[in-house]
Amino acid sequence: MNNVMLALTISLLFGIGTFLILRRDMMKVIIGFGIVSHAINLYIVASGVFSEGTLVPILEHHQAVHGLDQGLIVADDVAAGVIGPITTNPFTEFVDPLVQALVLTAIVIGLATTAFILTLAYRIYEEYGTTDVQELRRLWG
Amino acid sequence: MSFLMQHLPILLIAIPLLMAPITILTKGSPGLQKAIDVVVSVGLLALSGLLLSSVWNGGITVYEVGEFGKYGIVLVADLLSASMVGLNCLIGCMGLIYSYDYIESKSLNLTYHSLYNLMLAGINGIFLTGDIFNLFVFFEIMLLSSGALIVANETSTVTKISDKMEATLKYIVLNMLGSNVMLIAVASLYASIGSLNMADIAVKIQILSEAGTLPWHMYAIGLLFIIVFGGKAAVFPLHYWLPDVHPTAPSPISAMLSGVIIKIGAYGILRVLFVIFAPLKGVFGPVILMMALITIGLGATSAIGQNDVKRLLAYSSVSQIGYVFLGFGMGAIAYAEGLVAGATLIIAASFVYLVNHALAKSMLFLTSGGIIHHAETRDMRKMGGMINSNPLMAGAFLVGAMSIGGVPPMGGFIAKFSLFDAGLRSEFYIPIAIALLFAVFTLFYMFRGWMLIFWGERDPQYGEYSHHKLSFLMVGPILLLAALVLIFGIYAEPVLDIAQTIASQVIDPQPYIDAVLLRVIR
Repeated sequence: MNNVMLALTISLLFGIGTFLILRRDMMKVIIGFGIVSHAINLYIVASGVFSEGTLVPILEHHQAVHGLDQGLIVADDVAAGVIGPITTNPFTEFVDPLVQALVLTAIVIGLATTAFILTLAYRIYEEYGTTDVQELRRLWG
Repeated sequence: MSFLMQHLPILLIAIPLLMAPITILTKGSPGLQKAIDVVVSVGLLALSGLLLSSVWNGGITVYEVGEFGKYGIVLVADLLSASMVGLNCLIGCMGLIYSYDYIESKSLNLTYHSLYNLMLAGINGIFLTGDIFNLFVFFEIMLLSSGALIVANETSTVTKISDKMEATLKYIVLNMLGSNVMLIAVASLYASIGSLNMADIAVKIQILSEAGTLPWHMYAIGLLFIIVFGGKAAVFPLHYWLPDVHPTAPSPISAMLSGVIIKIGAYGILRVLFVIFAPLKGVFGPVILMMALITIGLGATSAIGQNDVKRLLAYSSVSQIGYVFLGFGMGAIAYAEGLVAGATLIIAASFVYLVNHALAKSMLFLTSGGIIHHAETRDMRKMGGMINSNPLMAGAFLVGAMSIGGVPPMGGFIAKFSLFDAGLRSEFYIPIAIALLFAVFTLFYMFRGWMLIFWGERDPQYGEYSHHKLSFLMVGPILLLAALVLIFGIYAEPVLDIAQTIASQVIDPQPYIDAVLLRVIR
């Protein structure tokens, strides 16, 4: 149920973002970009949750002492569908920490691009006196 | 010296990154700032040459960033990366020297240097990284810094600032869309493969496809990557931003955009579709081929009607990148049909094409800057007779036009000849026929431009040409690049040799994978 809700949320965000990107107002386009990038961030985080029995084993020392590192598979057996380091131990509930690091990077990059494009939009408003994208037609692609 | 050799890949990224704050800190003394930056830029060129020679002699270099073993980010310098880095450092150095007289001094002093260095660092990172998420990060560094450079002020006021704003908005918005698509593709790839290391992904996809359990969405991910890199390289359905952005940028930045940045897309196709998605090459080959053929036709026919000198060159870039992609598409199809030797020849030829186009087009854009300086307009109809007042630019433009048009003895002739020859050997008659037809178009529009600018007389109503002479800082880079275009045409063997090795490594990525995965993990 949670997975379905998550998937629906991500798709809804993608939908809203795409709708806004296709508007004529520059500000709406920029907000649309923000929403799409957050939809992608959610998508990346969601890909870090593995189905039951295939959790990524990032073990700290005390957990190894308590025997939580049992059932650890490090070697890949791709043909059998076993990829990367996973654990079959049912008592571990971890998600992949790498995707969260990826999302942090993506958020920072999104901040930089949004700041740049907002500055640009303000300068365009100063030059053209409008934020309507269809009024920007001095160049013909 | 051994320290230098050991850390060569990271130095090529770290030095320009470090230069970005240093050039801001030295903005109080512009002379010092310029001197430092040009020395470092020449040093980078030397380092990239060193990297190329060490990779050529000693095989693929793998550099581990951080100490995370298999899961860390690696920098991989194989021959493809090393030669692309060399190309970037060469054109970057020439563009920087040229900018000193071309860019307005206030803009140059304040932000231009640091943004330029960030762009160089981003491009070098894209070429050297062996990690697909890291590739995305360097893409963004390159995108933001190049976007900010497009709005840099020139000394001539031919291009209005509002035009630059508009072009930059197009560039940033469309490339942000591309970046978002790339992020989706990377996340999907990670979710289904469980690795971000390109060599690791390549091995796993190989095993999965041999076992017949390759998930269907791998095809979708591959198509997403085609959209991303096609958008960067401006192939047909994604090309429409380029003819606005490249002409409005200052000439040295146009040279970087047309010379190096659109080649990033070609590099990405070689790296991602040919190395990572190696078993699926045959599926994506026809897609790339069709896109390439339409791009060639569209770019060439649009270029014929242009009256703006830089717009002509921009449409020519669209058309020429189509030839590079044509080679990739034909190579992928030939490989899927089992013609390994033929596929190697075709990929080698398209790499030669890529290098020659990069040199000739960046030289032409630098020359167009000189022409604009002289005529104070970008409209070719308002020029004419410039061969008397500016013979140097006439000669340089002629060399570039001959190379792009494929006239011997320029490098472009070798490139076109080897591409068509390799295509015909693998029996791609119809694509080569179409490419040959539009090669004639290329010759026509380049020489139409040359004749409009340099022959005839200038209409008196547009007044006299300006008399200020072009400084050595602007002429030097143009002459050096023109000499390289000529040398690569007359003495083409080294480029052809390197291209042959690159092509065999692209067709059979096993050496790349072995070098990354079988290294001694610290």
